[in-house]
Amino acid sequence: MKKMYLSLVAGAGMLFSVQTTTLAQGDYPTLSQVTQRLQAISGSGSAAKLSSLTKTEGGKDIWVLKIGKGEMDNKPAIAVVGGAEGFHVLSVELAVQFAERLVKEHSQVLDNTTFYIFPNMSPDAYEQYHASLKYERRGNASNVDHDRDGRVSEDGYEDLNKDGLITLMRVASPMGDYMPLDTDERIMVKADRSKGDKGGYMVYPESRDNDKDGKFGEDPVEGIAFNRNLTYKFPIFTPLAGDFAVSQKEGRALLDYLFEQWNIFAFVTFSPANNLSSPLKYNAQDAKKRIVTSMLEKDVAINSMVSGIYNNTVSQKAFNQTNQGTDGDFFQWAYFHFGRLSFGTPGWWVPEVKGEDGKANANAEANFLAWAAEQGMNDVFVPWTGITHPDFPGQTVEVGGIKPFVMHNPPYSMVNDIAKEHTDFIIQLAEMAPKMEFHNLETEKLGNGLTRITVDLFNNSPLPTHSEMGAKSRWLRKVRVDINKEAKDLISGDKIKLIDKLEAYENISLSWIVKGPGSVEIKAGTAHTGIVTLNVKL
Amino acid sequence: MKIKNWIYTAALGAAISFTGINTVSAQVAQERYFRAIGTPHNPKVQVSWNRYHTNLALEEIMKDMAKQHPNLVRLESIGKSYQGNDIWVLTVTDFNAGKAEDKPAMWIDGNIHSNEIQGTEFTLYTAWYLTEMYGDLDFITELLKDKTFYIAPTINPDAHDYFIKEANTQNSPRSGMIVLDNDGDGLAGEDPFNDLNKDGHITMMIRKSPTGRFIKDKMDPRKLIPVAADQQGEYEMLGYEGYDVDGDGQVNEDGIGYYDPNRDWAWNWQPDYIQRGAWKYPFSVPENRAVMEFVMKHPNIAAAQSYHNYGGMILRGPGAEEDLNTYNASDVRVYDAIAKKGEEFMPGYRYLVVYKDLYSVFGGQLDWFYGGRGIFTYSNELMTSYLYFHQNAGRGNQDEQMKVDTYLTFGDAFVNWEEYDHPQYGRIEIGGFKKNFGRLHPGFLMEQDAHRNSAFTILHGYHTPKLSVSEVKEKDLGGGLREITATVYNERLIPTHSSQDLKYKIERPNHISISGANVVAGFVVENEDFNKLKEQKVNPEKLEVDNIPGMGAVKVRWIVSGGRNFSIDVDSVKGGKASWKK
Repeated sequence: MKKMYLSLVAGAGMLFSVQTTTLAQGDYPTLSQVTQRLQAISGSGSAAKLSSLTKTEGGKDIWVLKIGKGEMDNKPAIAVVGGAEGFHVLSVELAVQFAERLVKEHSQVLDNTTFYIFPNMSPDAYEQYHASLKYERRGNASNVDHDRDGRVSEDGYEDLNKDGLITLMRVASPMGDYMPLDTDERIMVKADRSKGDKGGYMVYPESRDNDKDGKFGEDPVEGIAFNRNLTYKFPIFTPLAGDFAVSQKEGRALLDYLFEQWNIFAFVTFSPANNLSSPLKYNAQDAKKRIVTSMLEKDVAINSMVSGIYNNTVSQKAFNQTNQGTDGDFFQWAYFHFGRLSFGTPGWWVPEVKGEDGKANANAEANFLAWAAEQGMNDVFVPWTGITHPDFPGQTVEVGGIKPFVMHNPPYSMVNDIAKEHTDFIIQLAEMAPKMEFHNLETEKLGNGLTRITVDLFNNSPLPTHSEMGAKSRWLRKVRVDINKEAKDLISGDKIKLIDKLEAYENISLSWIVKGPGSVEIKAGTAHTGIVTLNVKL
Repeated sequence: MKIKNWIYTAALGAAISFTGINTVSAQVAQERYFRAIGTPHNPKVQVSWNRYHTNLALEEIMKDMAKQHPNLVRLESIGKSYQGNDIWVLTVTDFNAGKAEDKPAMWIDGNIHSNEIQGTEFTLYTAWYLTEMYGDLDFITELLKDKTFYIAPTINPDAHDYFIKEANTQNSPRSGMIVLDNDGDGLAGEDPFNDLNKDGHITMMIRKSPTGRFIKDKMDPRKLIPVAADQQGEYEMLGYEGYDVDGDGQVNEDGIGYYDPNRDWAWNWQPDYIQRGAWKYPFSVPENRAVMEFVMKHPNIAAAQSYHNYGGMILRGPGAEEDLNTYNASDVRVYDAIAKKGEEFMPGYRYLVVYKDLYSVFGGQLDWFYGGRGIFTYSNELMTSYLYFHQNAGRGNQDEQMKVDTYLTFGDAFVNWEEYDHPQYGRIEIGGFKKNFGRLHPGFLMEQDAHRNSAFTILHGYHTPKLSVSEVKEKDLGGGLREITATVYNERLIPTHSSQDLKYKIERPNHISISGANVVAGFVVENEDFNKLKEQKVNPEKLEVDNIPGMGAVKVRWIVSGGRNFSIDVDSVKGGKASWKK
């Protein structure tokens, strides 16, 4: 009997492992699969070190992989962030695959660059992708009263048609302001009353009005969204944002950690915001206000240059990429409040499908359905089906719509190529990091034991050491030059010199007159530019 | 003798002897002291209000208050500071008259800026005054039955003691004890002030120089005065005491702190390049986080006061012009009514608005209390030179300050110039005003100003809402139905919900409930005379009322059947509770 149990267990285990492998290849990973892969990347002898910054309200780890060699903290670093939005499961996979490919295929880049990879900032919400009830979730596991009526999460989504998915519901009503799209009747669009369109349907998320306030699904069972809870343009007191910025454990833990990593010069965030397909725009008025809300002029030029590299590396052509940041998000925080170069991309978007008339689909959902049909994806839409809805007795109510996740995350089989291209892009960005070099060293004997040392400090990089915003921020250190001579032996020149900024390919001439024989060491740079040392024989 | 009995007898004996002591002390007082109006002349807790207390002394006083007034004072630590000190809060209310958290509350704190330590004494004075006067004065007794005071003498205990115990200027430190990299060189706190003459004060360094633009005043050689444009001077100013520790050619450029705890709050928080002194994100300073968590857990706080120095000001927000429309007319009327009264009984204090009369502040504490929580909040800048001679000589007026030190403090305020051999500047002189002069009250002015400021917070706390069901009318509608109309009155200035609260739905609405009758329909009455009603269809026995205005009333109505002996309950988070029973 005992034996039978054992073999059963073993059998189950085998079955399980086979299934895990199939799953890993067929679909986006579960949280535990992500953790296993992170542990595999950071196994013994790896350049990657895995640590947990905190656990979320839902008890999930916020992981960081720090990858580098040697004096990691004094090499310029890139931070890669995934899972800014929980429903954007692709972003987690892109961050994890970047780490895997970096360690396996591009480890030479670690000689000069350090990486911080935060694969998933929304693990509580991410879990909804694999849950029995699937919906595009943004919030973590905190208890939040989104509609601020004194009742917490009383009006969440409800799976009325029991298909395990939250889609939409439409209620036939002469007062309804929605109507089917003429080119694809499955899609509901707002009636254009200025054109005399009548409507005919009310459209809501699949839900009930439990608190009878006339609103549906307005207080869902989820908490604060990481990507709405940061300080830049924080949308205070709005749903998913809450009462104050950085109120959640994961946000605090991330920021506390970042404020101690002085070597980060750039962020790459995989989230819906995109400034890589095309750069942010410069608005002189907004850039000059006390509260700056436009990327500064010189930084737009950097953004433009990096965007060019992105478009040469990533094959997909931009389409419908209008999101260049939303209030309280991470991508904008990294630039506007942390002073670092910040680049963002969703990694993938629904490609443009032209109709028979050769014109693009103006409606994004119609475009998606056309693309899905081209791809032979037949399982992306829940056909409108009638249900009885207790809040609309006697009325025609149907549930249906595009399935959750599919418009933001491509079929898993497409991810490898996307990840490879984005890895190549980040590697190119790493190679552009600010780089301190000494050139044209001259030592002149002035007699009586005095030597004049002259040397150029050169930033051998297409990027400045400090972006225009970075130069304003105290969270980027200045470039520091040290000479290891006692003050009494330093006839002229600074023992410690702080330089605010070196532009791309700029050089600065340094000189000292020192007393005595021997040698001196000159050191220049700072954590996010790398530090170089020069030994000078006197 | 059985051990139990022995214990009993001993306890009884102790009790008798304690009573004895109390009686004796009352007798002693009667023999010796006569009340000066306005001050408890025989307090249970003895405190001298003409000196500053260290954390140790503060803790002793607060524990003594809790011990001597067990029904009026509870002491709790709301969290730890950066260095692990307790942040103490005194809850002062009549605990026998309802739960503290059910009453409208007033929050008072001091010392967010480390060097501004009189706020600590003033908050503590308020707690002392309220508890010692309870039972003596009807007004105070009634106040503590109706209201709760949450009093935090120092929300920055680390640097409170650091200012007192270590060498500092009048202005240092402003921040707590977290050491940041002020000059961006990669090192934190590597070049602080240096107390070269070891007197516990950081004063000024001057040096004789042919190009100096100052001379010592012949009439009073403590004074350094500028020479005329065409005259040669004798001295140059070298700044505060210190030397270049790290060899970068700068003196005193990187001490403790840098951050400003009053730029760390979550209303319109902005980063350091916009708002100097901001740190990582709102509440990244642990002491502030503890206060925020306490405030979030005590939504009954309807009014708040924080203490700063210097200048004799009663300040309200907004801190920044960008927030101008946060403060709308109805709230400003409340602010004005209380503060203008305060101006009358606080000579030398002016009622001002931060952004336009002072300077711009993003992420300030008072802005979060009001903008983020809807709490009516003032911040007082304590001490003004007006208190010296009742003249407006202006801040840091050297002539006036010298006069104070000559005729009132007899040399206690000034460190006389003495020569010193400086490692980088050579022969210099060190001297100047002590850290505890100028911005801080001298002892003889403290108690009076503490009392006046306490009176201001008492007025403010008094005007938090006080609700009552002032009238209930019944009308028979026939068919077994009756119409019940109730008036709920707010007897004070402050509404249950500020307009900021209403705008963002910060706090839930007030609940006015009826029980003991079958409710058929429920309404908020918008206009009784013309029968304008707003029906609440769901759950009409518990009506949700957005606001009960200050010195105003709301009316509600139910249509009921049955239940002759009904009762009405009012439950307001910031307005407290009230009930009515037939």
